Amino acid sequence: MEVLNQRSALLSNYEVLSLLKELESDHLAKTKTAHRIKKEEEAAGLPPKHQAPPDDVCENLRTVEVEAIQYLSADYQPTGSQSEEGIAQLTRTLGQWDLTKAEKLQIVNLAPTEPVELYVIVEELEDRFGDKMDDILNAVKSSLKEPPPTVNGTTEGQPTEETMQVETTTYTEYTEEYTEQWDYDANEVVFDDTGEGAGIEGDLDVDDD
Amino acid sequence: MFQLSIVKDTVAVHPSQFGLPPQQAVTNELNKKYANRVLHDVGLCICVFDLSEVSEGRVRYGDGCLWYKVVFRMVVFRPFPSEVILARVKSSDEDGIRLSVGFFDDIYVPLVYLPEPTAFDSKERAHFWLPGSESTSAHELLDSPLTDRMYIDAGDVVRVRVESDDFHDDEPGPPKAHEGVQQVQENRRPPYTITCSMAEQGLGPTSWWQNAGVETMEEG
Repeated sequence: MEVLNQRSALLSNYEVLSLLKELESDHLAKTKTAHRIKKEEEAAGLPPKHQAPPDDVCENLRTVEVEAIQYLSADYQPTGSQSEEGIAQLTRTLGQWDLTKAEKLQIVNLAPTEPVELYVIVEELEDRFGDKMDDILNAVKSSLKEPPPTVNGTTEGQPTEETMQVETTTYTEYTEEYTEQWDYDANEVVFDDTGEGAGIEGDLDVDDD
Repeated sequence: MFQLSIVKDTVAVHPSQFGLPPQQAVTNELNKKYANRVLHDVGLCICVFDLSEVSEGRVRYGDGCLWYKVVFRMVVFRPFPSEVILARVKSSDEDGIRLSVGFFDDIYVPLVYLPEPTAFDSKERAHFWLPGSESTSAHELLDSPLTDRMYIDAGDVVRVRVESDDFHDDEPGPPKAHEGVQQVQENRRPPYTITCSMAEQGLGPTSWWQNAGVETMEEG
């Protein structure tokens, strides 16, 4: 093992969340298919073929995946109201001001909608962006699909269904450098958490028979 | 808080996995090896992002595995110093506060990085902040009326700034037998810890700052 580059790029929370959700839905789809095939075989009366599950579930990966998804999509995170187009537009807008890369990343990750939050992220905000502060905050607000529910203090607007938010996916500037390896499909993001437990339980029952 | 690291490694694919497309099999092996583990001086590995280079698989003498030399990119959790992150309070004690982000919970806020003046209420098992108070000693603070105290309770969502991170690689040394009795191992340090700060305007429980105006910021 050799680490060639410890930090080759920084990722935004939204990107990591999409990647993990994609992994999760892939995994669920696979377990479902495996389960279906098994059932079909048994229905056809074939002798149970020994076949290891397509990729034996890696416990560590599942743990970190589920916990990270939980953290990243928690209601105090802005990821719920973010979208790829929104973020791409936001980074383009932020480009006009002299913000550092780290500051831009944090603005994307935390989506500050209040001056207090911006003060924490941007160093010497007063001196550098005294009058442009509201512009930055407005840029952030317009990049969010819906006003974030409660946590950030903006109370207007009620939380809406999050499933409605990702409808179309067009590749945008922001993610361009990664897209060639990462085919993100918005439709795959929707996953059903309850399906998995039921599937596994069913599986065990079959085994007992 | 997440970054991409480029790592080079050699992995073995077991014959039972030969049915899978090679890139899938290699990714699975890598995830099995790295996911949810701390890599020294790199961070907490989440999962493989993509494979950049994979050599042809080779069979070695002695086992039936296919060995691949792989260069890949990995998603790693490593908030950089001065980054602001959101976390939940996991627990508090006399020495400070422990935070959690769900998949990682070796995040600490020591006493020096708590907002001034604070004191630890041992009855509530929580630290509280007395904004605007002149008192400095813990006794005076603990005499304050309960209504003025702003508690940092377990489960609160807090905004903190990353101050530093530490990696510890504690090798399990040879078993030390002292007079024939095996020594109890001293408690091991976590491999990766992050130290955070709340001692700044705008940091601390997010509820403190929800409706705070700019006026308070300017004096700070």
